[in-house]
Amino acid sequence: MKLVGRIPVDPLDDERLTNIERRIVAGAADAAARGRPARESRMHVVLGFAIAAVAVLIAGVIGWRLRGPGEARVAAAEAPLHIRSDRERATVDLGDATIASDPASAFTVTRPDGGVLVALARGRVELEVQKRGDRAPLVVRAGDTDVIVVGTHFSVDYGDGRGDVDVRVTEGVVRVVHKQKETRLAAGQAWTTRRGLVAIAELERLAAVQAPGAGGEVEIDMGATVVEPARKPTPPPPNKPAGTGTGSGATAPESVARPGGNRTPPAPERPAAPAPADPNTDLKTQIRRQLVAPALDVGETAPAKAIGRYLDIVNDKKKLGEEASQAFYSIAVTQHLRLGDTQAALRTLDGYLRRFVGLEGSKQYQEALWLRVRVRCLAAVDDSCRQAAMAYVQKHPDGPRGVVADRITNSR
Amino acid sequence: MAAAYVEDILLVDRCLTGEPAATRELFRRHRGRVHACLFRVLGHNRDMDDLLQDAFLQVFQSLRGWRAEASLATWIDRVAVRVAYRYLSQRGRRVPTEALVDDEAAPARDEGPGASRQMARDGVARLYAVLDELSPAARLAFTLHEIDGRTIAETAELVGSSVTATKLRVWRARKRIEAAAAEDPILSQFLDPTALDREVAP
Repeated sequence: MKLVGRIPVDPLDDERLTNIERRIVAGAADAAARGRPARESRMHVVLGFAIAAVAVLIAGVIGWRLRGPGEARVAAAEAPLHIRSDRERATVDLGDATIASDPASAFTVTRPDGGVLVALARGRVELEVQKRGDRAPLVVRAGDTDVIVVGTHFSVDYGDGRGDVDVRVTEGVVRVVHKQKETRLAAGQAWTTRRGLVAIAELERLAAVQAPGAGGEVEIDMGATVVEPARKPTPPPPNKPAGTGTGSGATAPESVARPGGNRTPPAPERPAAPAPADPNTDLKTQIRRQLVAPALDVGETAPAKAIGRYLDIVNDKKKLGEEASQAFYSIAVTQHLRLGDTQAALRTLDGYLRRFVGLEGSKQYQEALWLRVRVRCLAAVDDSCRQAAMAYVQKHPDGPRGVVADRITNSR
Repeated sequence: MAAAYVEDILLVDRCLTGEPAATRELFRRHRGRVHACLFRVLGHNRDMDDLLQDAFLQVFQSLRGWRAEASLATWIDRVAVRVAYRYLSQRGRRVPTEALVDDEAAPARDEGPGASRQMARDGVARLYAVLDELSPAARLAFTLHEIDGRTIAETAELVGSSVTATKLRVWRARKRIEAAAAEDPILSQFLDPTALDREVAP
């Protein structure tokens, strides 16, 4: 009974294929995100929407009533906003940009001439900015330094508002204007008042070298975040100096307004630097101390060329070979340490951990697990960082890395 | 091979970020094979739009679960076979696939290429009519092995059964078809009873 190749397949016409493709593309993102079948009957979808709407409404009411001194997320209005987060992180959603500030940070947001001006008085802010197209740019002003952005992800650290400025770009490109001199920063690059343009990886390496000894337990004291209406409605335009004295553009707050509108007595002014810029500095220092295994030496100094060589090895060798594993890992190391490209490094690592799951007990796999902890947790000690640490500590609970990973999982 | 493997990994990563272009690329890369596989199992394109859509949506829904142990193509085929199994189970075993040609009423056939094509079409219709009487598991095993050309081991992996169980299903299906062919000259002519596959000999 020979039937192979004897039953011709009737092809589907282009129109049918196009329709199928359109439906799949529309449903795929949703299905992948929700982890459940996206193809349901219309009634189920309608019912689902109705239930979701009611749930969101109830959650919103409950959340509003129960809101405490936790992380604040407010939408900035057209009027200037003064944000001061004393003991906690604050997040401000501007619609076209999100600003997350570390504890002990203060900044003012205004919208002069269609642009956005973030005048940083002290502390550190991290921004995710959507492409602004033809609109005026978003400017972060820290003293006499302007960081101009058209759409990217970066952070600006102004410490206590009197010293150096530290700008780090993780996605896109920004321009830094300092003392009328402009510097262009790409992803993976940093700029500091003292050092000028430098790779993020280099800054991290220096920080690791200069870091003091290990500290105690990680403790984050959550304080109040205040959102203050501006007293002066006219903000400074982005092309003019924002203030005098320390160079800050933020107005010192005199009264406090909570999101609900109740006014409270003025908060006492704190000393210049009551808390470190990042409450997880100590934890990050410990992470940096656990050195990662170096990338394979392929005789290339340029990162891009080295990655090309690693890919050659990955493609040449047998699927699960040890050398292929080392080359694959080396791509992630290069992306993280030499290019400072966190997202690419994480994508590569996810691919590595899936592909070489058969080598789970190997040293290389352990290195990859740790590298993922390092990449995620140096970016932010958040849930994804803790998950990476948990995955590591489940496999390798012993040793100094296991101890650090365990601390990460217990961090708040 | 390894290059394709890495490409698959990178493509899946892009899909997981929700990139529509990656979704489209994955679909276009695999749709031909999945369609052919489903067509050979079912014998027609009637509900193919829904089946392809179901299969690929399940692929994208479960993409995070692909651990890169099997090739992406094999993994997608497994999803497609599950969709086909569910379709066959829900549809019922006795619903005929195609209207059979009535032997008595059929017009006298001319000799020549047109006639042989018609004979082949009739033979295919009769074959799938017999397959409609099989259980979904037996039909899948038989079509994947005998028509789609997969080895017994591959077929067993796709249907999630042991090699022995799969062999047995293929053998039983073949016996059933041979029995039908003994009473049906058109089907008998379509099948080639001399080329027995040693791999599934009982």
